[in-house]
Amino acid sequence: MLKIRFHGRGGQGVKTSSRILGRAAFLDGFIAQDSPIYGAERRGAPVVSFTRISKTPITERGFIFDPDIVIVMDETLLNDWLARPLEGVKKGGAVFVNAVSGFPPPAGHDDKVFITYDLTGMALEIIGKPIISSPAAAAAAKITGLISKSSILEATAEELAELDLKDELLEKNIQLAAEVYDVIPTPAINTQESEPITREVSPLEYEPVTHEEVIHLDISNLGNSALRRTGNWRIFKPIVDPQKCTGCLVCIIYCPDSCITLDENNKAVIDYDNCKGCMICLRECPLRAISSVREVRVYA
Amino acid sequence: MRDVKAITSNLAAVEMMKVEMLTGNVAAAWAARLADVDYIPAYPITPQTEIIETLAKWIGEGVMKAKLVQLESEHSMLTAAGTASLTGARVFTATSSQGLLYGFEMLYNIAGWRAPLVLVNVSRGVAAPVTLEPDHNDVLAARDSGFLQFHAETCQDVLDLILLAYRVSEDRRVRLPSIVNMDGFYLSFTREPVHLPSQEMVEEFLPPYIPTLPFRASRPVVKGASVLGGHIYTYFKHNIHESMRRAIEVFEEASRHYGELTGRVYRPVEGFYLEDAEYVLVMSNSFTTMGKRAVLRLRDRGVPAGLVKIVMYRPFPSDQLAELLKNRKAVAVLDQNISPGMGGIIYQEVAGALYHQRNRPEVLMSVIGGLGGKYISLEEFEYIFDVLQHPEGRKPNTPLFLFRKDELESVKRALGLAGLGGEMG
Repeated sequence: MLKIRFHGRGGQGVKTSSRILGRAAFLDGFIAQDSPIYGAERRGAPVVSFTRISKTPITERGFIFDPDIVIVMDETLLNDWLARPLEGVKKGGAVFVNAVSGFPPPAGHDDKVFITYDLTGMALEIIGKPIISSPAAAAAAKITGLISKSSILEATAEELAELDLKDELLEKNIQLAAEVYDVIPTPAINTQESEPITREVSPLEYEPVTHEEVIHLDISNLGNSALRRTGNWRIFKPIVDPQKCTGCLVCIIYCPDSCITLDENNKAVIDYDNCKGCMICLRECPLRAISSVREVRVYA
Repeated sequence: MRDVKAITSNLAAVEMMKVEMLTGNVAAAWAARLADVDYIPAYPITPQTEIIETLAKWIGEGVMKAKLVQLESEHSMLTAAGTASLTGARVFTATSSQGLLYGFEMLYNIAGWRAPLVLVNVSRGVAAPVTLEPDHNDVLAARDSGFLQFHAETCQDVLDLILLAYRVSEDRRVRLPSIVNMDGFYLSFTREPVHLPSQEMVEEFLPPYIPTLPFRASRPVVKGASVLGGHIYTYFKHNIHESMRRAIEVFEEASRHYGELTGRVYRPVEGFYLEDAEYVLVMSNSFTTMGKRAVLRLRDRGVPAGLVKIVMYRPFPSDQLAELLKNRKAVAVLDQNISPGMGGIIYQEVAGALYHQRNRPEVLMSVIGGLGGKYISLEEFEYIFDVLQHPEGRKPNTPLFLFRKDELESVKRALGLAGLGGEMG
């Protein structure tokens, strides 16, 4: 069985990627299983999804702890303490990272193949949106070495049609998937069928901790959401032009995350540690003093 | 340690207690008044409305100091109740049947928030068909919510169990809300003499509620945050379970104190003519009075009959129950509820409690009766004991349904009137 784990952010099409890959495997005659896990958070929050591909019935469900292949749809997730996309990747496995440029494997991961490609740039160019469900699925399909090009394109068409994508956009996605399928290499994946995950735990640790007192489900450290540092959710970054900004406060009122303040010169300043890149400020600024640039960061 | 007053002075105090003719509803209102509750979110539903009307009247007259607010539904009512409790207010509210189910999801929230309010449920069968009369499917639906549950047999029980419920719920070792259940009509609209403890007595019994990390405008706090992944959820659920199990001991401790003050002592499960009883009926709520009468009649005829009443339904007093039922010849569990496709709800729990008991009774019979308030006659109670003495040929796990021939005739007449055939059709 081949296990593929997709890591991305809400809005990138993470769930759809795993479904396109699952359906493509199914079309190629494999037994497949795909599923997502996501929380109550929004666009930009970490999302994870899974595809299992097998020649025999699949007896697993849920989270894939030991993937053969990991598809990282947003390179900023490599540093995210909640997402931890490289955790558990099998020795000899492959890691695909959607990034502007390549980089050497992070420490402790030299035993895996790393492949990088700028899927977001390609998506912006062809479909005009940073949605990469079809190219990420195509990249994964090619990396498995098991899925035919015709199946990945057919699966892309079927899955996106279910999402009510209009013909033109559908065509562009298929074009995008085809181009990515052609350009991504098929590495040699040398993973072993892993043993069931066993952790050394004493029998006591299987029991919930016994308490003599009531534990209240309270959060009392006020304002702790700033500790979450949601700045790495951004795909686009708002930039304030101080020449145009009059300090009118409109962006401050509209910012849903209270990430904008005025500096001593009465100019808007954005807290990039926490700004999620929703671009509401850009839309609301009456003086068009806010512009947008693609967030480009290289993991090293 | 608490001061234990001399018995003599207590007896004098008991004698000084007022006795009044009260309905179960007014007894519940009295308990809220004596407990000096701060906030009463309300929504009317038969047969509970009289509780709210009584409290509203007292507040209007100025004899009771509390804030009563009518909400637009039971869902809002329970939300208001839980959140107010978290500010440190002592909260009382009441509902019934459809109302309880309409606000249902908030029950789990209130328990998870550890808001120790008291909710009175006036039992009423759940539609459809529509009825106003009692059975316990409504309150038993709430059994897994994290609310403690106390079931009343008399109007006196209603008053006493509400005061005990506040004491146990607010105890730092428990900190979970309570439901006190009374049967609609059979208690809610039935008047009988009720001893009213004095305000001083209740103040001594029920110390002020001191909340943990209460809501304050100056100190925001999140209660019941979302916790994805399951492990944090498990951790808190397990803590609720442990707190709930501790409530048995806390209840017994509170009950001893209450007994010292009022002369009335409650137990999680109570026996009636149990000492030498060979045939025992397990039941709860107001119909227990009728069950006791049947036991007395059977005793007159020399049948070693007895009865066990479940007062505390959550936490379930499994050990105490198993202790009372060991060495009996045959036991029947009367469920005034039905889980379609399974049978009686409490029967299953009694069976579970007895499984590990040495010398458990050989016969454990399930009886279903009193659905939608259907009266259970003395003859029907005696019939249960007849079957207990001669259980041969009865299939275990098949409940005995109490339903008489004359009732079937009446059903047929009604079917005829409805145009569904029968005699009139």
